[in-house]
Amino acid sequence: MNSVRVLLRHHVRLHRMPLVPLALGLAAFEWIMTVVAGEPSVSRFLTSALNAAPPQFLALLNQELVSGISAQGIVGVGYAHPFALLMMAVIAVRVPSAALAGEIGRRTMDLMAARPVLRVAHVTAALAAVLAGLAILAVAGYTGTLVGLVVRPVEGVSALRYAPVAVQLWLLFACWGAIGIAVSAFCREAGQAIAWTSGLMAGSYVLDYAARVWPTLAPLRPFSLFRYYEPQRVVSAGLALHDLMVPTAVGAAAILLAFVVFARRDL
Amino acid sequence: MAADPFPIRASGLGKRYGGVTALEGLTLEVGQGEAFGFLGPNGAGKTTTIRLLLGLLRPSTGEAVVLGKRVSRSVSWRGEVGYLPGDMSFWPRLTGQETLDFLCALSGRAALARAGLLKRLDLGASELARPVRTYSDGMKQKLGIVQALQCTPKLVLLDEPTKGLDPLMQQAFYEIVTDMRRHGTTVFLSSHVISEVERVCDRVAMLRAGRLVTVGTVVSLRQAERRRVIADFTAPVDAAALAHFGEIAASGERHVELLVAQDQLPALVARLGMLPLSDLLVERPTLEDAFLEKYR
Repeated sequence: MNSVRVLLRHHVRLHRMPLVPLALGLAAFEWIMTVVAGEPSVSRFLTSALNAAPPQFLALLNQELVSGISAQGIVGVGYAHPFALLMMAVIAVRVPSAALAGEIGRRTMDLMAARPVLRVAHVTAALAAVLAGLAILAVAGYTGTLVGLVVRPVEGVSALRYAPVAVQLWLLFACWGAIGIAVSAFCREAGQAIAWTSGLMAGSYVLDYAARVWPTLAPLRPFSLFRYYEPQRVVSAGLALHDLMVPTAVGAAAILLAFVVFARRDL
Repeated sequence: MAADPFPIRASGLGKRYGGVTALEGLTLEVGQGEAFGFLGPNGAGKTTTIRLLLGLLRPSTGEAVVLGKRVSRSVSWRGEVGYLPGDMSFWPRLTGQETLDFLCALSGRAALARAGLLKRLDLGASELARPVRTYSDGMKQKLGIVQALQCTPKLVLLDEPTKGLDPLMQQAFYEIVTDMRRHGTTVFLSSHVISEVERVCDRVAMLRAGRLVTVGTVVSLRQAERRRVIADFTAPVDAAALAHFGEIAASGERHVELLVAQDQLPALVARLGMLPLSDLLVERPTLEDAFLEKYR
């Protein structure tokens, strides 16, 4: 347990610098969305623009409330926007790739693995680091929404509705973080792990997008993890059980795989 | 339970990467408090052996027991092992101090020897406060030595330990190893620098293409080597008349160089005494001679 704590501190030290601007950026972005939602002229313009936009574009924003978009919906767009997803993806890819494959590639893993540390501790510490990093980002994003709506309340929009969205955002990328750790457990270089994890994530995102735009691909949508992240539905109807269960199950399976692979591989 | 008299035991240890054999059937024992040298050309399997002993690699065949524990079964023994990798790298943004603290915390032991090592290797507080990316190769090597030895290990595995060190620091390192041995630390040293192994080690193993070529004490390996006998004469002599004592390495009208086994020396010297000898030099073989002989 002590070695996990020591390794976790090590990961925090290595990744704290990029985490700060990412958290501030996400908080600012979600705050801006509350400002946009609270500005009648901007909101009206955005509503009409969104209503006029082709469905392919709305699908990109996970915005299915094509008719009658509300201020609540505009704030929700902030959680489905590619910018927010990209902020989370940076940590979900960077931390796992650096923690295992990165240390092996840099040859610093030899220094750590030659000490009385179980291989399981390396995977556990990487998981703890990515979960904590993503939690900081999700909290920062929600803080942006909360501060925005408290400082300048918007009629009919409650900040409480976005707390489960932030949780779901964290869960989705926690699952990607776990997949990133499994990928990293196989790789010898951080670059390899980054390429594979980013590729899988991008592929999953494109599959979800394509399945929403083209009905023929709709049956494939459940195979994308992004299918289980629908901020607008969570805002209006709350969290669905399968949206929690699927990412949790996939993440758990990925971590189990990482434990097995990393314990048995050559470093 | 009594400590294992052999901190390192390898039996039939081997490692294959696909069709490539990096190490084959290595069987050896290193005794408590011994300084054991590991020699071999590039790609002989020295680093692979060390990485197998530490459990960084999984053996294809055989087994290693370190400090009485099977390497594949536990990790607790690593707390008493210090390791200096040959191809060493640190975290560039961490300072020297942070690096030492982090690696010490992972060892789970107090860094009792750190202050003394830093002093002997001339690494000051100002250097330790700098990020490792600003270090020269020599400073990184010193930091590597300190991280390996700071927690007073019972066994140290050193891969090319003096790489990048200037002669003064090499001397300081040899003194550190001597002191460690005085306190009963077992040293396993892999090096290309034969004079270093000769100076530090009691016993030596030589590897070639993943196979153990020979193991023995430095003295026995040297003694097994032929002496170089250089004789100069005041008048011309027939070098061929001396050929039955050993191999003639070079000869001239008044000059002969012979490679002679130790037991042939008395007879040769007696024979040379009957010739018009002006000068005689008998060179003791070095470990390097033994090494070159094995790899020729």
